[in-house]
Amino acid sequence: MKLASLLSGVIAIHAIALAAQPQSAPPQMLAITGGKLLTVSHGTIENGVLVIANGKIAAVGEAGKVDIPAGAQVVDARGLTVYPGLIDPETNFGLTEIEADQASNDLAEPSDEIMPHMHVYDAFHAETELIPVARLNGITNAVVAPASEDSIAGQDIFIQLFGADRDQMILGRDVALAMNFGADQRRRGGRGGHAEYPSTRMGLVTQLRQTFLDVQDYEAKRDAALKKDEKPKDEKAKDDKPKEEKPFKRDLKLEALVPYLKGERPVVIGVYEAHDIETIMALADEFHLKVILNHVTHSQDILDKVAAWKVPVIVGSIYDFPLANERYDAVFSLPAELARRGVEIAISSADAGGPVSSHSSRNLPYAAGFAVAYGLPYDEALKAVTLNVAEMFGFGDKLGSLDVGKTANIVLANGDPLDVRTDVKQVYIQGVAVPMVSRQTKLRDEYSK
Amino acid sequence: MPHIAPALSSWPGRRIALASALVCALAFVSAAQQPQPADLVIKNATVMTASHGTVANGAVWVHAGKIAGVGAEVSAPPSATVIDATGLWLTPGIIDPHSHSALDGDVNEATSPVTPAMHMIDAFDNRDKALYQALAGGVTTELLLHGSANMIGGQAVVIKNKFGLGRDEMLFPDAPGSIKFASGENPKRVYGSRDQLPSTRMGNFAVMRQAFEDAKPYMAEWDAYNAKVAKGDKTATAPKKDLKLEALADVLRGKLYVQIHCYRADEFLTEEAIAHEYGYTIRAFHHALEMYKVVDKVVPDETAIATFTDWWGFKDEARDAIPWNAVMCMRRGMRVALKSDSNDHIRRLNQEAGKMIHYGGATEDEAIRMVTLNPAWIIGVDDRTGSIDVGKDADLVLWNRDPLSTYARAQKVWIDGDLFFDASLPGFGTPHFSGAMHDAGGFGGEDEEDGQ
Repeated sequence: MKLASLLSGVIAIHAIALAAQPQSAPPQMLAITGGKLLTVSHGTIENGVLVIANGKIAAVGEAGKVDIPAGAQVVDARGLTVYPGLIDPETNFGLTEIEADQASNDLAEPSDEIMPHMHVYDAFHAETELIPVARLNGITNAVVAPASEDSIAGQDIFIQLFGADRDQMILGRDVALAMNFGADQRRRGGRGGHAEYPSTRMGLVTQLRQTFLDVQDYEAKRDAALKKDEKPKDEKAKDDKPKEEKPFKRDLKLEALVPYLKGERPVVIGVYEAHDIETIMALADEFHLKVILNHVTHSQDILDKVAAWKVPVIVGSIYDFPLANERYDAVFSLPAELARRGVEIAISSADAGGPVSSHSSRNLPYAAGFAVAYGLPYDEALKAVTLNVAEMFGFGDKLGSLDVGKTANIVLANGDPLDVRTDVKQVYIQGVAVPMVSRQTKLRDEYSK
Repeated sequence: MPHIAPALSSWPGRRIALASALVCALAFVSAAQQPQPADLVIKNATVMTASHGTVANGAVWVHAGKIAGVGAEVSAPPSATVIDATGLWLTPGIIDPHSHSALDGDVNEATSPVTPAMHMIDAFDNRDKALYQALAGGVTTELLLHGSANMIGGQAVVIKNKFGLGRDEMLFPDAPGSIKFASGENPKRVYGSRDQLPSTRMGNFAVMRQAFEDAKPYMAEWDAYNAKVAKGDKTATAPKKDLKLEALADVLRGKLYVQIHCYRADEFLTEEAIAHEYGYTIRAFHHALEMYKVVDKVVPDETAIATFTDWWGFKDEARDAIPWNAVMCMRRGMRVALKSDSNDHIRRLNQEAGKMIHYGGATEDEAIRMVTLNPAWIIGVDDRTGSIDVGKDADLVLWNRDPLSTYARAQKVWIDGDLFFDASLPGFGTPHFSGAMHDAGGFGGEDEEDGQ
């Protein structure tokens, strides 16, 4: 008796440990049957089968056309909608816990406008309470960016919202550079007429341009120094005058920008007003940056131009306020207006008025749904919180749609994923059924007794 | 694409070119030459009454600004203007019991923790764009409250969102008075940061109790004087009027609805205890994020709550917020309203109501009531608005989709039977407004009321 209960305790603990460590313990094969599959990449399958093996999607298709492997655990999803986990393109997950509590914030380093060597992975608190809360509404992946105070705020990470520790949750480090520009941009001189540089947008742009030139100069010197080091010894010996050469000193700030100036990784530029967008895009063009535009809240007058740039755009927040002379839906209709012009869009969960509120990340699907209310085709809205985000940040081959070979981040819900009334029933991340609990469900259950 | 797109892209230029020429003409036309029809019928709509369920294919008859009939059929005169609302939804106007819109930043008189003589009407800017944006979200009535920097703040103003009319025409006629109290982090932060009392919750409540003690002798003096006058004593001299003490006395006399900003479970109980001690009742706790912990203890006092759906974690006292709070409290017998406290969320309170189906399984009826009839009760105007019932004000919203979904847009908004928003119109869609809006900056939310 005693032994049995002890044993069952061991098994239970083991099971929990398994659930918390998706990568070290791949789950058994799963077949999710009878659900309505929103594949994102190839339409809707009304009565579908999705097979998961080794944390990946092994098969997807209509019932009867997909073999359910022997030994697979069958999940009956009749009456449920099955779709890929949602991806939030801008969050502060793990950089804040209680916004008003400064001790819990690692949002931005405000000592300088140019802070590319700030790596979000150095601050990412994987055990934050915010992640389970968002996960329960079907958010399975996110970009974590520093807050938008600095012209160059740091480098983003791409995460999955489940794992034993930060190493399992961070799927990509330094996936993008976070840049910001505009009237409200933090500048150490304050706004205009102060003693410190920069204090104007002229100053901010000049500071950025000089930084990029410094990086190019640095890169040339660094490469030359590395080349010298590579020379064979006998060749070095032939040099006439054996001089005392100082070893090359790496500058982490400048070095951080090298891959971005080579266009190897995207630069996410947060900017709101049309004229500011044009200013910063001119600079980006000058240095051949690979741009993802963010916000573009008041770009209604230059939408055709934005489309012509052929850069992806994150709309966040769709809830930002129109200007006083604009119609009430000027911003609500922005995703539709951009998509209509062929722009690849993502939608973020940001609340109105600027700063990201990762506490609201669980409302990401509703922001996408609201874009549908104001004219965005439904399929485009779903893409804007799944596949498009994955593609923008280099995970298009792994995430964002129900396709064979992709990571099995799957959500089962009792209705339309973009509707506020819909309840998410189960979330799978890397094929593991994530426990549907958060600190909030525990409080609910405790006080429902 | 939505049919408003062309109007949208051409609007700013057109406005600049024609605005000055049109302002006078439009104002004249709408005021003088196009009086609202005496009778209006909206038929074939899905009518969500908020008081007695939903009528599929229902009709509502509006006569002289009031609801004259509602049901499968109405017996309006043949002269009535008829709107065929096939495929559309009709609800009562959305009511926000906690807004700081249109105060041009004058939300907190944060110079003393007790400022009951402040009247929000003195800061009301009836041309604030936030009012327009809320109107386009179907909001017809708002309670504009003082902020939460002070333990006892100012007296609220109740407005009907008749955007485009003058300040006085936007006031809700004969609405009961409300006064805003606060508690918890905000007062102690605002005054504590200046090394003033209060800087703790002990200080908060000490300040509040002393304020009522101050009011008691003042009230007694006036009671004695009034008694003398009633007896015909012509020698009695009136005590000096003190606006602050007078307002506090009005709380003790039960003349003002007490609306309390309060988050934590322990503080609801303290507030109720103080209310019992001084003999007033609390109309509603606002925010009330931890009410689910002590709801059974508060229900007997019949205090309602006006709560957020799912905001949490923005400060310590919001840490235990859960999105099931509203429905859990409702199921235990509490009257529950949702509110915005934000110029953002006020534009989509209907969606916040929809979330209650998700978080706790509210019925559609219960959900819509949380943004109509229940907030009307908190404000004290539930006998006039908040549901589609005969005799009530014709405050109505016509929606293109189920208003509890993510996808609904308000098509038309009537207040007292008069059309104040029509999405099919070019420009702003406001039959009564064609001027310049004020960009008051306003209140973004997050409850960061620092009083600076």
